Amino acid sequence: MAQAHPAGSPRAHLSSPVTRSVLTIQHRMLTAAREFLCRRGFTELLLPIIGPVTDPGARGAKPVDLDYYGHRYKLMTSAIMYKQTSLTTFDAIFCVAPNVRLEPLETSLTSRHLAEFHQLDVELAGASRDEAMQLAEQLVGYVVQQVLTHLPGELAGLGRDAGAFADLLSESFERRTHSDAVADLCGMGHGQNPDAEIDWAGEAMLSQKASRPFFITDYPKGSRGFYDKEDPERPGVLRNFDLIAPDGYGELCSGSERENDYPTLVARIRETGENPAKYGWYLQMVREGIPGSAGFGVGLERFTRYIAGLDSVWQAVAYPKVPGIASP
Amino acid sequence: MRDLGALRAEAFPEPAVRARARSGAANAFPDLDGYGHVLFGADTAHPAVPADPLDGLRLVPPVFVPHRLAKLVELAREPMYRDVVLETMVGGLRSTLPLYLSAFGSTQAASVDHGLAASRQAGRLGIPMVVGENVMPVNGYGRIEDDPERSMLGRINAYLAQALDGYGGVVVQQSTEDADAEVWNLVYSDPNVQALLDSGRLAFELKVGQGAKPGLGGMTVLDADTAAGLADAFAMDPVFGAGGHGVVLRCSTPGTFTEEILRQQIRLMRNNFPRAKVWVKLPPARDVRAAALVAWGAGADAVTVDGAEGGTGWAPLAFLQHVGLPLGECLRRIGQHPSCLLVSGRMWEGTRVAKCLALGANAAGLGRAALLAVDTDPENGLMNLVDCLALELQMLTSALGKYHVGALAPEDVWSAEGTSAG
Repeated sequence: MAQAHPAGSPRAHLSSPVTRSVLTIQHRMLTAAREFLCRRGFTELLLPIIGPVTDPGARGAKPVDLDYYGHRYKLMTSAIMYKQTSLTTFDAIFCVAPNVRLEPLETSLTSRHLAEFHQLDVELAGASRDEAMQLAEQLVGYVVQQVLTHLPGELAGLGRDAGAFADLLSESFERRTHSDAVADLCGMGHGQNPDAEIDWAGEAMLSQKASRPFFITDYPKGSRGFYDKEDPERPGVLRNFDLIAPDGYGELCSGSERENDYPTLVARIRETGENPAKYGWYLQMVREGIPGSAGFGVGLERFTRYIAGLDSVWQAVAYPKVPGIASP
Repeated sequence: MRDLGALRAEAFPEPAVRARARSGAANAFPDLDGYGHVLFGADTAHPAVPADPLDGLRLVPPVFVPHRLAKLVELAREPMYRDVVLETMVGGLRSTLPLYLSAFGSTQAASVDHGLAASRQAGRLGIPMVVGENVMPVNGYGRIEDDPERSMLGRINAYLAQALDGYGGVVVQQSTEDADAEVWNLVYSDPNVQALLDSGRLAFELKVGQGAKPGLGGMTVLDADTAAGLADAFAMDPVFGAGGHGVVLRCSTPGTFTEEILRQQIRLMRNNFPRAKVWVKLPPARDVRAAALVAWGAGADAVTVDGAEGGTGWAPLAFLQHVGLPLGECLRRIGQHPSCLLVSGRMWEGTRVAKCLALGANAAGLGRAALLAVDTDPENGLMNLVDCLALELQMLTSALGKYHVGALAPEDVWSAEGTSAG
């Protein structure tokens, strides 16, 4: 196993002025996000961190198994199934959810992967993908604005130029489809698989070219989780999106309109290679009826990295877990 | 002489395989003791399984051999059979031979020791090795277990410790049931496996079905204690009743597939594990061509077809004798195809492999033969068996006037129906 801490030691990292500024910004971001969502009628829920199943959609990562009184349980890789089913209680929810994914080691080179991280998860009953995208755009704008307003000194101390957000605050986010993004990348000489998610290198190239965040929509089926709704008008195309930060910071957020039709979900689960039996509790709820919805999850540490202008995402965590590094 | 070893394979040419495992290439020829006073010829009294069209084929050399002329020009001398190149790509992996080690599964016969012995020798040979679907759920992965050598990682490490640099690779199988164990995710994120990933020698095989029991999932017989420990993961069927001394049948589901489900599963594999090769193992099903085309179309690096003769053997008798297409018919139905095709089922000597290559396969898998070989000689049995098989392949290919096994083609075989050997 590699070195014990990316910063040398936990003490060096925790006592660093950079860490203190970054975590101060992150605290402000959380406060702002809660303000924004609560004002719009969202209820903050505390969702489980262990369960019999978790999101299998995480690209190559291994969920962590644990022995729960003799049953194999998982640490959440994402809260997606709980987000959907919680809409039987409230129409609009959010949570700050811890996720654990034992990512492939190659992700330690992307500067934006952690094995343990948090998502600002949002789910809205009856919403379309467009509504979810608008909400994500407004949320990101509000949080950035709040940090700029309240913590200019912290940003300056980190050497982060507030001008980096000028386009973000003045123009709406561009939208392009996955197939357009693939064509862009092929035009740049990058061999992107048209059936797959944008690979790490391709995403960095697209991000580097942009001056404000942008959406990539319409990912192909087979590249994402079973819960992203397939467009009935365009088979094989999902009603989903990623939000990509500019200047090489890469993906901030993933979201979609959700599938909530029972037979469709069973078939989609099979398309991910699994036996639907393990999703018993979830499928039972879907069968009995859960609201249609749309939602997204913002990677809190990635968002922090972007706002604070950090080299690497581990700098945005008090106790970072970089894939493959056995840190505390 | 009574053959040593604990395994038995009565429906298989066990004595011949064991003889090769003991003494290698010498077994490509009749017993020297009989030289000069025994007449040889086809054994019509004991035909091979008559239903397999491969057994009815003959390899037929031509008089005119333009490929030999090309080789002669290249070498500036008359080519010999040892000049035949056997190195080939097997499902995106570079292999010294058009062979790979098939998955053994977790049947009792495929004991941990046999698995380790076969892994070491496959590594030394420079041929890819498939690790069966149930090795991890049954024996563990090996990072934190008490006995890591018995585990999946034990198999992989045994292979890697002796692997020929730049050749071969490890192919990790997963089926519907062990998707629960997330075997691929675990392997792909494991620091112990990075050397394979970095050298492009890791592949994942989606097991859609198998030869011995097409339409059924995996089955093994377990004692009651072991079964209790796996009850969460597998269905247990007490088919043996009270007379079964407490053993039960562990069953996997075959998994539900449509064209769209297969296509998307493969795409998801490519999306989630972009640095691993993708293999898809099909049963000898009546729609084998349609399934293979979907797999290749979705980007699979190889399709493996397990003929009804395949498998380490344990299956319901009804399935062993009456279910599934023979391999030769699978090859006929698949016909022309765009990408790598691998075949397995009753492979142990050169002619069957050569016929399969001529009919479109790129390589053949050794399953039972490899098990018998390492049972005969744990150190060198598989090496010896393969040594003999490789010699036969070289002799057969050169006799057909060709100097790379990849050049074998339908023109090289003849059947009584007169469909080939043109």
